[in-house]
Amino acid sequence: MKSINDNDIRSFVDAVGSFFFHTTNEKVEIRAAYLVEGEIQASTFDLTSYITLSGDFSGRVYFSAPRVMVAHLLLAMHELERDDDRLLDAVGEIANTISGNARKHFGEAMQISVPVTQVTEHDWLNSVVSPHSYVILVKWKQYRASVVVDIQRTA
Amino acid sequence: MKTNMKLLIVDDSAIIRSRIARILNDPRLNYINVVGMARNGVEAITLYLQQAPDIVTMDITMPEMDGVDCTEKMISLRPECSILVISALSDKATALKTLKKGAKGFLYKPFTDEELIAAFLELTNS
Repeated sequence: MKSINDNDIRSFVDAVGSFFFHTTNEKVEIRAAYLVEGEIQASTFDLTSYITLSGDFSGRVYFSAPRVMVAHLLLAMHELERDDDRLLDAVGEIANTISGNARKHFGEAMQISVPVTQVTEHDWLNSVVSPHSYVILVKWKQYRASVVVDIQRTA
Repeated sequence: MKTNMKLLIVDDSAIIRSRIARILNDPRLNYINVVGMARNGVEAITLYLQQAPDIVTMDITMPEMDGVDCTEKMISLRPECSILVISALSDKATALKTLKKGAKGFLYKPFTDEELIAAFLELTNS
């Protein structure tokens, strides 16, 4: 198992920025942080999705956001229905898009699953991610969300 | 003038399916009519046989049957159909793989409304 490096994380940061820019025509504030147990925590919001990796990689990529932010995103996409099913569908699509776009950097050896989505309780992410995960903090309008990259190379 | 064309939308995300359908309200695409929407490759093949669409938008990462296998199956059934793959998988190998299976175009997610309109216009003019 090999840890990923700063260039690898940059591909996820770029993918997050690209998603928001293409979807809303607005830039997001992004900063990346190394998750250190007990110091920097992974923020868990109302709705969370994750993609499981296989092939030459293992681990998961998570996206977590508050309901109100996802509802606002759907509004920006002219989506009229904003019930919980649609909101969960949206966070799943965001995780899928971020992970899929990262294959531009990692190549097809990074295989990605379909997204799993769920309503999450406070601090759920910290109970499931490894202490060496990267947390990418996102701020769009007045809302905050997080992308957690908890992956390793297996080959 | 283009004649009416039938479109099948294949994507496991409801918001992507409805977004593609909404973009088709653009007057430049008024010759395209949605005849079905599918959440995975298996549903898509059933609708494909029932509706005989002229155009298909195809996601790749889906449950049951992915978009690569679904594209291959559709082209084997009716090679004249134009398939536009719309996927977040941004590596060149995946795009080449679907084009080799018979897809006519590839659009990366995330996409803007104008990028999708341009992709449809290019697909239906070719």
